Amino acid sequence: MSAATESAPIFEAEALMGIATDLFETMVDGEPGHLTLWWGEPPELEDSRFTWVDIQGQPATRVLLAASRETGEQLTRALLALPEGSAVGDEDFADAVGEVANVVGGNIKSMVPDGGALTLPSVAHAAPDAPGAIAIIDTYLSWRGAPLHVSLWALP
Amino acid sequence: MKALVIDDSRVMRRIVTGILRGVGFDTVEAGDGKEALERLTEHPDVALCCIDWNMPVMTGFEFVVEARKRQEWRDITLMMVTTEGEQGQIVRALAAGAHEYVIKPFTPEIIVDKLELLGLVGARA
Repeated sequence: MSAATESAPIFEAEALMGIATDLFETMVDGEPGHLTLWWGEPPELEDSRFTWVDIQGQPATRVLLAASRETGEQLTRALLALPEGSAVGDEDFADAVGEVANVVGGNIKSMVPDGGALTLPSVAHAAPDAPGAIAIIDTYLSWRGAPLHVSLWALP
Repeated sequence: MKALVIDDSRVMRRIVTGILRGVGFDTVEAGDGKEALERLTEHPDVALCCIDWNMPVMTGFEFVVEARKRQEWRDITLMMVTTEGEQGQIVRALAAGAHEYVIKPFTPEIIVDKLELLGLVGARA
């Protein structure tokens, strides 16, 4: 996808942050304070995994999340209430991180004038190819000190 | 009282099931609308369905439409639990026969409040 960033009037980074904050406070952590903006240089994500959903409306939009496998496993343990350090299988991993993208995407969809359909979440080792896509929001969050890359794309 | 939790995400089924069991429900689960219709046939004592919208095979909305066609299931309470938060979607679901609507993300208190409104659990002091 293109790294070019342009503004789009209907989405604000604060709204995306609000959606993510609500999600983590209510369903991941069960308490506030563990998700913040990432301050400083954009971090390198080690052994990255990507999850996304598309909003097939006008404008067509993609919500893309990226994190290290380790952070994704932490997220999976939190959502599935698994013990700290327990093994996380690929199926649970995809289910959990995909659901995070689904909830964020569904809430973004409600802000799209013609929301259309929401795709089922995808999870992969690489970001999906989308020539001509334009980044609307591109930001890093910190969840319990670990980086999460959150971006919103206008699809051609 | 028995509830059917319908969501393609095992994570979401676990969360919703945990909340329902906490207020005394027995639960069964389904991963899509078609499977949910089968579960309802197998479990005629289901009193509540918690239904995701966006699922493969058969969506939650399609499930509501199908379930409402069946006379023997007319007393089942249908509650959408979904990310689909647009007013138009809410109206569609309620018009099709859903009784309540919860938008993800949610807290356990939100679910329990809805169940109280529906008269499915006792009001808290």
